[in-house]
Formats: sequence, C-alpha cells, structure tokens
Amino acid sequence: MYGWIWRHLPGNVWVRALISLLLVLAVIYVLFQYVFPWAEPLLPFNDVTVDNQ
Amino acid sequence: MAATADDTAEHTDASDPSPAPGGRRPGRIAKTVSVFGELLITAGVLLALFVVYSLWWTNVIADRKADKRADKVRDHWAQTTDSGPGALDTKDGIGFLHVPSMKNGAVLVEKGTGTDVLNDGVAGYYLDPAKATLPTTGKDGNFTLAAHRDGHGAKFHNIDKVRTGDPIVFETRDNWYVYKVYSILPETSKYNVKVLSAVPKESGKTKPGHYITLTTCTPVYTSEYRYVVWGELVRVQKVDSKRTPPAELQS
Repeated sequence: MYGWIWRHLPGNVWVRALISLLLVLAVIYVLFQYVFPWAEPLLPFNDVTVDNQ
Repeated sequence: MAATADDTAEHTDASDPSPAPGGRRPGRIAKTVSVFGELLITAGVLLALFVVYSLWWTNVIADRKADKRADKVRDHWAQTTDSGPGALDTKDGIGFLHVPSMKNGAVLVEKGTGTDVLNDGVAGYYLDPAKATLPTTGKDGNFTLAAHRDGHGAKFHNIDKVRTGDPIVFETRDNWYVYKVYSILPETSKYNVKVLSAVPKESGKTKPGHYITLTTCTPVYTSEYRYVVWGELVRVQKVDSKRTPPAELQS
C-alpha cells in the first residue's frame, strides 16, 4: 500500500520524501480539523453532565 | 546525492517489500499479509493521533477561545458602570469560577451544558434536566455547573483534589460569592439527576439554601460515572474598585 504510493510518486528520493511528508501533514490536518471533531461525540469519553436520557 | 535516473531506479527496487531474485514478484499471500500489516500499523497510528487530538489539541483550541471570551466579558464589565438589573451579560458568560484547590485559574461560566458550550473551555450552568439557580438572583436554590475533565480545556480535571472545606468562589461583575465545599460524591450514575436538586438530599442537606454543585465525568479519560462536589454559600463580598479578591483566593 505505502510501497505502491512511494513507487508512484514522481522525482528522486528527496522529492519523494518531501511529497510524502506533505501528504502526511495533509492527512493529519484533515483528521484534526474534520474527522476527529466528527467522531468525538460518538465516543463515550467526554460526557460530563448528568441527564435522564 | 546524485539525482540520476539510475539512482531512482535503484531506490524503487529497494523499496519493494521483498524483491524475489530473478525478477519474480512476491506471491499473492505475501502481498495480502503485507497490506494487512500496513493496515494494522495505520490503525495504531490513527488511534495514537486521536489521543493526541483529544488530550492536547482540543485543550489548545478551547483555551484560546475561552481566553478570548473571558477578555470580552472583562471588557464588558469595565465598560458598563450601571449596576441595575439586566446588567448581567449572558451571551459571552456570566462570570468566573475560582477553585484554588483545582489550580486552574479563573474558569469562565456560560449558559448551558451542551457540547457546543463546554467544548469552548468553559464551565456551563445547567438548563436541563434542572435549571440552575444563579447566585445573582439571590434566591434559594442550586447553582449547578458542569465542565470537561479531559480535553476541551479540561477545566475540572483536578476535581479530585478538592477537599471538604475548600473554597469555591464565583466572581461576577459586582460580587464575589464565596462557597465552602461540604460534601463530595466521588462516583455516581450519569442518570443521577437528583444531585442537581434545589435541595440536594444526597449531600446531606434537607433545608433550602444557597448551594453550588460541580459535576464532571470520572474516572479520568472516560465517562463511565459522574463526580459531584457540593458547596454552600458562606458570604457575598462586594467587588471593590480594585477588584481585590476575597481572602480565600489570596494565598
């Protein structure tokens, strides 16, 4: 999977490493900005109030 | 490093998981196992990132927002000088909660306990299932509050450090409401809404009075149970021109 991505990146090893790093950062950004805020309320870690539901 | 075509080709080969001699590609099973392994590693990294997100990043975001709002409330207080009714600014927050034993500074108090409110790094007063009685009304009742234990500012993280007899001070524009902790319930069901009653019987009280209730989740990092701290109003101190904090906050 990751080998496949690596082989399909253009340029030499340094260019590929740089692109890989950018890809990783992009993925982390999407996770922190969109995926985790969406997933968090669905997980039972952070309910602090008492209620009768 | 030379960036020749040969160099690139070499690296391409080297990065192949298991280049079999004689140019033979790895078998289907070997490929499946390798993809499965990569998926497991990915899942592990994802979970680790989620922990980083919930225990660190949400605090960064929430504290930033809460600081901004707190400044707004202080500015608002400084600007309005009339002390008539309706001077209470409920949009940005109604005041600040100081619990010295929690060592978390001044926590902004806002209306409501929905995640949209609490995720901004504040403490919220209950509207549902039982509406909190604000101390500013002067009526008997229970000033019920909730805040996050972890992440999103983690304003009640150190609630387990609060002991009976510790002060809880609520600061508004005009007054310092000084409460004293008299009862603690370290673990209760999340459905136990009776802890929010105007007269919280579980705390040992039977008569109406001016109470304060702090709720958050317990044990840390989970929301299995609720942790409850009760306090009773000791005195109300007028805010002076220098906003000198009451004796309980000076140490």
